[in-house]
Amino acid sequence: MSAVKGHGFDMGIIKVRDLIFEYIRRDEEGNVEGITTAVDNVNLDINQGDFVAILGHNGSGKSTLAKHLNAILYPTEGTVWVDGKDTQKDEYLWDIRQTAGMVFQNPDNQIIGQVVEEDVGFGPENMGVPTKEIWERVEESLKAVGMYEFRHHSPNKLSGGQKQRVSIAGVIAMHPKCIILDEPTAMLDPKGRKEVIRAVRALNDVERITVILITHYMEEVIYADKVFVMDKGAVTLQGTPREVFSEVERLKELRLDVPQVTLLAHALRQEGFPMPKGILTKEEFREALDDCVKELF
Amino acid sequence: MLRDITLGQYYQADSVIHRLDPRVKLGSTILFIISLFLFDNAAGYVVAALFLALVINLSKVPFRFMVKGMKAIVFLLMITVVFNLFLTPGEPLLTIWKFRITKEGVSLAVLLAIRLSFLIIGSSIMTLTTTPNQLTDGLEKMLGPLKRIKVPVHEIAMMMSIALRFIPILMEETDKIMKAQLARCADFESGNIIKRAKGLVPLLVPLFISAFRRANDLAMAMEARCYRGGEHRTKMKPLHYERRDFVAYAVVICYLATGIAAGYAAPLLLSLTGMTGGV
Repeated sequence: MSAVKGHGFDMGIIKVRDLIFEYIRRDEEGNVEGITTAVDNVNLDINQGDFVAILGHNGSGKSTLAKHLNAILYPTEGTVWVDGKDTQKDEYLWDIRQTAGMVFQNPDNQIIGQVVEEDVGFGPENMGVPTKEIWERVEESLKAVGMYEFRHHSPNKLSGGQKQRVSIAGVIAMHPKCIILDEPTAMLDPKGRKEVIRAVRALNDVERITVILITHYMEEVIYADKVFVMDKGAVTLQGTPREVFSEVERLKELRLDVPQVTLLAHALRQEGFPMPKGILTKEEFREALDDCVKELF
Repeated sequence: MLRDITLGQYYQADSVIHRLDPRVKLGSTILFIISLFLFDNAAGYVVAALFLALVINLSKVPFRFMVKGMKAIVFLLMITVVFNLFLTPGEPLLTIWKFRITKEGVSLAVLLAIRLSFLIIGSSIMTLTTTPNQLTDGLEKMLGPLKRIKVPVHEIAMMMSIALRFIPILMEETDKIMKAQLARCADFESGNIIKRAKGLVPLLVPLFISAFRRANDLAMAMEARCYRGGEHRTKMKPLHYERRDFVAYAVVICYLATGIAAGYAAPLLLSLTGMTGGV
């Protein structure tokens, strides 16, 4: 899967250089109490068509970073380019927001329409797309996330996972090159989480949309091409999921959960079994265990 | 318990009235209400009743559904009727202790009762056959000319539709907070009015905080989806008049004319046949 991706699209869709974002804390009278550096000297390069995951526990600055990629927040220092456009330049603002769509955590607070199809049409309406094309875009994006049969429903009657898929469709209808998902599954049950992640992976595989998934669920990260782990505003670990999950001890230090199979393999390795590093799925684990058994007995 | 409250309830059906442009329905409702206050004799009300019956029949909304909506205002209706019945000066019909019912009082009370119930039924036909979204769209388009005098028409319509979208969500939230506070022995039901009002504070404060948080999130989500006010915006479901809409306008104007004509013609007819009086 990952061998095909990025082929022919080698220009970076997102480039972040020396990004620093500070916000000023104030007490009740409005006096400056101190300055918090939410994002500290971050450099990122994301290629068109990539599936990138950003991990980190609460307060690690991952959501703040995400909001820079969509020109909702502006850097205190450093620069962010989206599709070659500097996010700090006002004239690019709407281009950038269209190029890099964003899905937020709470599905209820980002659905504007009272009917599913109207909500999906909201973005194209804002962009001034002609009526006929809006309908085409709504249809194709609802089909892409598997919500087409719900187009006449009220969003209030949908489950969390379905609402989040509608939100994703709302972003796809704007034809973005890149979609940023800021903890889209944090408020969902396991079933809803699976639905959303499946939809996101399909978008990346089929439509070749760049995906930036921000999450603290490790299971969602194993499909990514590249993982960035953030702590205290800085990127502390990066690499393929396998590389990142090899560092079990480091991840534990960062208060991140490691997938259970990875953890089990790690424990076995520490007990002296010849298990490879960075096992991510049950299937890999089973194979490795078979090899291990063959080798030992 | 709170979820039972429905606002601007819509009755799904496939009828001519449902398909009409919301602007037609809004305009006609306003005209109908005005007509109720223009007519001041029985003949006018007969015409209005016939017109209402026709529209109800066309709308395919069961009549009992509309009567349900009337229940809420029965109390208001009673008060108006009682006040008019007893406090109108004129020729006395009946005297009970200090209260006097006059002939004028009876006719005024009957007239008002009819006027009010027609008014409620008339406007509930509009809300029952038009989705809230169509209504706000219609309002936006109708008030469009006011943009020239700097009235933020698009913004008002957007606020209305967002408010409608969030009513069920906030209802659910109120329910949740209420249960959470009840679990901590909050008391919403006992005591006098002042005590009960005070009891609502632990319900309202978290509700407001969460509403502001939601508003903030929603604003960010809207901006992230390129929302920048009404300019340059296209419509997914634009409104345009069809032939049936012009027919509807014509019907409403016919109704108005008939009603007014009936008002003049009825006394004349009655006097010709020698039956003077009437209401």
